[in-house]
Amino acid sequence: MGAAGSKLEKALGDQFPEGERYFGLENFGNTCYCNSVLQALYFCVPFREQLLEYYSSNKNGVDAEDNLLTCLADLFTQISSQKKKTGVIAPKRFVQRLKKQNELFRSYMHQDAHEFLNFLLNELVDILEKEAQAAKNDAETSSPSEKTANGPKNPQANGVKKEPLVTWVHKNFQGILTNETRCLRCETVTARDETFFDLSLDIEQNSSITSCLKNFSSTETLNAEDKFFCDKCCSLQEAQKRMKIKKPPHILVIHLKRFKYIEQLGRYKKLSYRVVFPLELKLSNTMEDADLEYSLFAVVVHVGSGPNHGHYVSLVKSHNHWLFFDDENVEMIDESAVQTFFGSAQEFSSNTDHGYILFYESLGAGNKS
Amino acid sequence: MINTANGTISTSSSSANAQSPGLKTYFKTPEGRYKLHYEKTHPSSLLHYAHGKTVTQSGCQVTLAHLKEKPAPSTPTSSSSSYSASSGVRSAAARWLGAGNGSRTLGFAGGNGGSKSISSTSRIGSLGASSSSNSITNTNFDGKGTYLIFNDPIKSINFSNSNPICHAFDQDAKDGHDLLIGLNSGDVYSVSLRQQLQDVGKKLVGAQHYNKDGSLPILYILVISRSRCTGIAWVPGSDGVFVNKEGAGDSSFPVVKDQTQFSVSHARYSKVPSNPMARWHVCQGSINSIAFSHDGAYLATVGRDVQAICEFLTIQKNSLYVVAKVIMVLYYVALGGALMDGKYILTGGEDDLVQVWSMEDRKVVAWGEGHNSWVSGVAFDSYWSSPNSDGTGETVMYRFGSVGQDTQLLLWDLEMDEIVVPLRRCPPGGSPTYSTGSQSSHWDNISPLGTLQPAPSIRDVPKVSPLVAHRVHNEPLSGLIFTQESVLTVCREGHIKIWMRPGVGESHSSNSETVLSNSLKDKPFVSSKIGSSSYKQ
Repeated sequence: MGAAGSKLEKALGDQFPEGERYFGLENFGNTCYCNSVLQALYFCVPFREQLLEYYSSNKNGVDAEDNLLTCLADLFTQISSQKKKTGVIAPKRFVQRLKKQNELFRSYMHQDAHEFLNFLLNELVDILEKEAQAAKNDAETSSPSEKTANGPKNPQANGVKKEPLVTWVHKNFQGILTNETRCLRCETVTARDETFFDLSLDIEQNSSITSCLKNFSSTETLNAEDKFFCDKCCSLQEAQKRMKIKKPPHILVIHLKRFKYIEQLGRYKKLSYRVVFPLELKLSNTMEDADLEYSLFAVVVHVGSGPNHGHYVSLVKSHNHWLFFDDENVEMIDESAVQTFFGSAQEFSSNTDHGYILFYESLGAGNKS
Repeated sequence: MINTANGTISTSSSSANAQSPGLKTYFKTPEGRYKLHYEKTHPSSLLHYAHGKTVTQSGCQVTLAHLKEKPAPSTPTSSSSSYSASSGVRSAAARWLGAGNGSRTLGFAGGNGGSKSISSTSRIGSLGASSSSNSITNTNFDGKGTYLIFNDPIKSINFSNSNPICHAFDQDAKDGHDLLIGLNSGDVYSVSLRQQLQDVGKKLVGAQHYNKDGSLPILYILVISRSRCTGIAWVPGSDGVFVNKEGAGDSSFPVVKDQTQFSVSHARYSKVPSNPMARWHVCQGSINSIAFSHDGAYLATVGRDVQAICEFLTIQKNSLYVVAKVIMVLYYVALGGALMDGKYILTGGEDDLVQVWSMEDRKVVAWGEGHNSWVSGVAFDSYWSSPNSDGTGETVMYRFGSVGQDTQLLLWDLEMDEIVVPLRRCPPGGSPTYSTGSQSSHWDNISPLGTLQPAPSIRDVPKVSPLVAHRVHNEPLSGLIFTQESVLTVCREGHIKIWMRPGVGESHSSNSETVLSNSLKDKPFVSSKIGSSSYKQ
């Protein structure tokens, strides 16, 4: 542990970023799905900073019950306040809490990193919303009869409208998609907005992220069994549907659908397709006129040939260095090594390390919201 | 001729078809069918490329090299004449396979029209496998005196501590050393391709080793960034100018503060020329590739953060004084480029797009969408002539090709209105369609020399659609070259395919004496025993 740490320190030398900590995370039996995502989130600097800020401003207040948010904040604080620059930390409290919270993650089975990320972000948002709601209730009603701990649902029950709260998690990760459906009979366009924390993309062999995004936004025709109920025509009609990004998120998380259910096999199969992802991504399928630019800062990599076993590691860019996190091990890698995780150009290949979740940060200085 | 004695040739392997399932052996264009004529593959057992942790991004480069004089006794008895034999020009394709970060390369294809041989190299680089070995193998791939020179894992030149990642060929090299090889380590070798052709072996023959204590003034420029030699090119038309450009900091030369100015710190100005003669600082990140236009007036550089075309304000022959200035910055250019008669530059990149830049207007004048992945090589087809190009039309047609990581070869026709206005400008927001009409318009703000344009919005620029899209390999492609008779495609694993132009294949009867010609013509994709038996570890 110490040796590995000093090795990384040696590799970085006097280029070791000031104040930065590179800590491996101990594996508690198939918790690499968790470790890999946590590392990616830790090196999502705006997210980390806001989480630490939240933690430092909240821990003085009500010493509330442990939840995933506090456990995560505690873990990040632990890492960032380490005296040593490198080493290993056991995310014990966080993993325990996670297993307590969600039975899905309780077993020692191999878990899906994307599912975990999704669960975590939604959980964080839930907690923040509840807290905000509770604070609001406290301020407004100031009635002691309503105990905040067990009454988070109540305000919604009597509240006239539920205003969506924009938390700092939203500010980082949330984007808005517009689902446009055009009825082919009356030409009416129905637009429906939906929010997202990540984009799950279907992938093809020897394609690029840009191409996958293009397919994601391509026009699809709804017909036959799958007709669209047009409010104007008051009947099922053939329609054209397309998804566009209305509000691109500050942190764009792209999930590659590498695990595909194969009906004939009755099980999931891992697609090892080679999908190239650039270090700088131009996002063009947006509603906005100008292309948006993103920079890659983390990749969660699935290692292995099947969906039910294997391993997760992550690649992280920090202060212009790329680092490789494999549970407790942290190594420095060359930027050019990132492309070894694109996938396999042909089906049978010994290479089983494939980029699975990509984290991009917007380069746009004029970031709204 | 198959060089069986040296055991270096690999013709189409027996498993060629097995390796290319679902791949057609021809593709159609308006002018006819392009047929697969030759395929060079590696037996899979020899492909020990590590796809795992090792860095696999590398350049599988192909260069067409025309040797001027008759090379060597190793030439086969080429009795036929049609194949550029009249001029005595031999062409050879040289390829180096190696590790590195050749993700972005850019090349100028000089010359216009089929009459002129390519005088500068057209560099194509791409993703590729990493291999510490490198070899030169030659094969007379058509039996008519055209040489393919490539490396493969079988017979290799070993650079003990490093991998070759770039090379450049100059047919006009005065001292006979016409080929430069840049290594990962920053070392540079110059060799005689001709000599190397005669002695195909594991060693470089008569190589000069530079960039250690190089002292001979020779004709090239090389790019060194972060101690790696990442790009190399000859300085056209200059005699005795050896320019060494560095992307990474070196305390003895000033670093450019303003990135919009490409400055040259001419250095080491002494009576006895010593290398490097000058160092230029272009950008902060590493430079992946450089290339000169064939007249030597322009230099293109492709880096991680800046891609630029530079104009030489002063380039004096036999002088050590070179001044250059950035005249255009190319955005999102990643992987390939070519220059056509000084007017247009082709680029392809990580946005899956092909872009055509006007040297005159210094901006994108057309773009093409059609690849499903990164574009790794682009080239103008200077041998193609428009079917209705009688010289009276108002437009000039260009044919160009592009290859990508999606394993596809795309051909494009580009019509440029040379007399009225090149292209219609579409209003922003509208769907841009390609038009040759003169219904427009204004070329506003043509920038004065030396200023840099901001990144253009591609939505304002006309779009072209591919003429042909054909999946040519199973692996991501790394490059293409147009020759008079054929189109040559290379994938990152080093497989080469040669597609004969319509009509060319038929005109050659299979009466050729050369073994390879027979074996290729008659059974192009069937096992060649000679080939497969010649593999040696």
